[in-house]
Amino acid sequence: MTEKTAEYTLSINGSDVVVPADGSRRLIDILREDLQLKGTKISCEIGRCGACMVLVDGRAMNACLLMAYQCSGREIETIEGIRDTDITEAFLEEGAMQCGYCTPGMVVSLTGMLRQDRERTREELEEGLTGNLCRCTGYGGMHRVLERLSVKESHERSAVR
Amino acid sequence: MKLNDTAASWRKRPDGSAKIDGSFQYLTDKEVPGCLHARVKRSGIPHARLRRVYTAEAEAMPGVRAVLTADDVPGLNGFGIADPNQPVFVRDHIRFEADAVAAVAADTPEIAQAALDVITIDVEPLPVLDTPEKALHPEAVKLHPDGNILHETFHERGDIQAGFAEAAVVVEETYETPRQMHVFMEMEGGLFVPETDGTLTVYAPTQHGYKDRMQLSRILGWEEEQIRIVSSPIGGSFGGKDELNVQPFGALLALATGQPVKIHYSRKESVRAGLKRHPMKITMRTGVDKDGLITAHEALLVSDTGAYATLGGPVLQFATEHTISGYIMPNVRIEGLAVYTNNGISGEFRGFGGNQALFALEGQMDRLAEKLGVDPWEMRRRNLRQENDPGPLGQRVAPNDGPRGVWEAVQQSPLWKRPSFSRDKQEPWIVRGTGASIAMHGSGLGYGIPDPAGGELRLTPEGKIEAAFGHEEFGQGLVGTLEIMLLRHFHCAENDLLMTIGDTSTVPKSGSSTASRSTNMIWQALEYLVPPFKNTLFKRASALTGAAVENMETGAEGIRHKKSGALLVSYRRLAAEGSLKESTEFHFPLTPDPVMGGHFLYGSTAVIAEVEVNQLTGTVRVTGADHAVAAGSVVNPLGYLGQIEGGSIMALGFTLTEDAVMNDGVYQTGNLDAYLIPTIQDVPKHQAVEAVERLPEGDTYGPRGVGEIGSVALAPAICEAIYQAAGVRVTKLPVEREKLIREEALLEAWMDAEGAETG
Repeated sequence: MTEKTAEYTLSINGSDVVVPADGSRRLIDILREDLQLKGTKISCEIGRCGACMVLVDGRAMNACLLMAYQCSGREIETIEGIRDTDITEAFLEEGAMQCGYCTPGMVVSLTGMLRQDRERTREELEEGLTGNLCRCTGYGGMHRVLERLSVKESHERSAVR
Repeated sequence: MKLNDTAASWRKRPDGSAKIDGSFQYLTDKEVPGCLHARVKRSGIPHARLRRVYTAEAEAMPGVRAVLTADDVPGLNGFGIADPNQPVFVRDHIRFEADAVAAVAADTPEIAQAALDVITIDVEPLPVLDTPEKALHPEAVKLHPDGNILHETFHERGDIQAGFAEAAVVVEETYETPRQMHVFMEMEGGLFVPETDGTLTVYAPTQHGYKDRMQLSRILGWEEEQIRIVSSPIGGSFGGKDELNVQPFGALLALATGQPVKIHYSRKESVRAGLKRHPMKITMRTGVDKDGLITAHEALLVSDTGAYATLGGPVLQFATEHTISGYIMPNVRIEGLAVYTNNGISGEFRGFGGNQALFALEGQMDRLAEKLGVDPWEMRRRNLRQENDPGPLGQRVAPNDGPRGVWEAVQQSPLWKRPSFSRDKQEPWIVRGTGASIAMHGSGLGYGIPDPAGGELRLTPEGKIEAAFGHEEFGQGLVGTLEIMLLRHFHCAENDLLMTIGDTSTVPKSGSSTASRSTNMIWQALEYLVPPFKNTLFKRASALTGAAVENMETGAEGIRHKKSGALLVSYRRLAAEGSLKESTEFHFPLTPDPVMGGHFLYGSTAVIAEVEVNQLTGTVRVTGADHAVAAGSVVNPLGYLGQIEGGSIMALGFTLTEDAVMNDGVYQTGNLDAYLIPTIQDVPKHQAVEAVERLPEGDTYGPRGVGEIGSVALAPAICEAIYQAAGVRVTKLPVEREKLIREEALLEAWMDAEGAETG
């Protein structure tokens, strides 16, 4: 309780935000409590379920495992910064959500992967979603989403591996 | 109807966009400026006499606004839907490790946590009764005034000895099932706001807002009307938020401080304090004659119900009925015992005891068929009920031919044509197998439990047709299903409708959103409500326009001319003529026979599973799990499919990986690192779901719910598939991988291959 509070500058969804925080304050708490960005969800708090997934410099990471000092000067994108893409449309049309609590994290993970490489195989996308748990759907809807978003593996691509 | 091949008829969820873009507000996302934060102090010891709770240091801490213990409960210091024997705060007898001894409200979560750390208790430890066997010992400490048995069931008919004497083969086996956790993604929590008019508003997820209101009124010593419960939307429940959890603490602290209080459990706290599926040990002895007809069936069920009652009694009742399910059995003897222990509390969970009973029952059918040398599916057919047969406990039921319907329909699955055994050619230590099972599963709470339903249709001043129900949306798609039903009744536009649920200040009593009942109850309510509601609309329209009622129909924006479709008068204009409300109250359809726990309506399912067993590692992969389901007509294809897929994969976890492990009354499982639910890579890429929609002629009960039935029959199908693949009979879940490892498998496979080449 006696730690010194410092100021950290984080880029959140394109805007610089100065956050007075203990260095060990978690990004999830900065987002949900300090900035009231509640689209990032909180569930297991040990990096297992993926409900708190955000993009850090374009890569999907668990906001429950990141400390304020690790985020200083980095570009953070939350679900609030991701709007109307083919990913969100696919989730809606394939009914890939029920209670919806895991959904923002899923969208963030897929967004990160597909931004890095638009041409992803079904297997790559599946692997990329193993850090996102869903308890309602049994993943049937997510499988239909991945079927839409993935490319069929070409002969050249498989030959490279 | 093949549900996943008819995407054209899918409707987008009304709440879909907001859930995807993160703007959807859950009740645990709510807070108000300056609200206090609450934490609960737990006993940390599974069994002890509590001598004293020391709170002085916590109370003196700056930023701490209230510290409450058993002395601070103005009303009943207890809760529990069926029997309120769980104390809000323990007074003298600690019965499990997460028993609450105190609760704190403070300015920040950190201060609240620091306050918990300085609350200490003085205890006298008692022997830990961590199995039903220990708790049943005559000298065991009594956990409750009436002893250590929460509930007993007994059902007997025919002559069991004579039945076994007639049997050509008899199988006896003991089946054990795990302490499965619900693992809803949104943790329990809520916001508790004392209002300026002296009332209390509770924003906290639950499966039955009015039930929470009743329970909280008992605890607070208040009138129910002084409490408003806002209970939806919910980030998953599966039975796990049916009972009170954070509500007593939040409500008491809000009233003690006069300030809004927020509480949100961590996963770790939820694991310890929350309900689980009852671990059960079921010993079954079943005989069949030379034609495979069941002659005798005997079962003893023992459930570990943990420290407190909640719905442990009704769960056992349900399990008892489902040790018989859809089969005709002349001679039966079933006994059940729900036993209190010092373990975590077991309670309501999707399937409600059916899952455990059906694992045992279907396991028996496969073993009997093998012993008799007949096809297991054909043997099932010979024993299945016909349309007008009595129910499992001999009670009269609505005519039901679901079991025979799904028995046939599941054979359309592509998996049905796969070989029941095969060995991989490239990786010969991989063996594959298929297995199938069938179940009939009750809906509604059953005979002997009040099961009221109701709803309202209203015309709002703005001219919206408002449907109000006291049901909850935990993700299952209730609101979308209600919208589809309303559109079918009124042929209006989506924006003519308003669906209101989950708030006791605006909804009527509809009973619980459990037991696969909500869709069915809403359907029935609308059958009662719509005709008089439309009638009033037409009469008002006629008075205003002079048009004849017979030429009117409801449509977009208002009342339209039946033939021309022209708008005669808008709903808004009709609303100006005065308020309009239709209400209904009724009871879930009930068997006329006084058979405790017996159901009247049932859904049925048949499942085929395909597995891959790696005999070097013992790993089991489920590569296919297809379902046929008979539950009347499909209202919302996407919702229906989602329930079956979701229930199925929850059962996959129950079968292969899930168990909240306890040792000496202490959870060893703390979080999702040690409790593995299926990931996207652990499930089949596609599941065929076939809905058998036909109901017996004259059936007026409407579509049955499907919230549970996807989860009840997969386990025995997977275990039969494992047996076909690897030759190992599973009696204990989750499947123990070590038992599937056969080091010689590789060698044998090579020798077979060698033999095939040289031979």
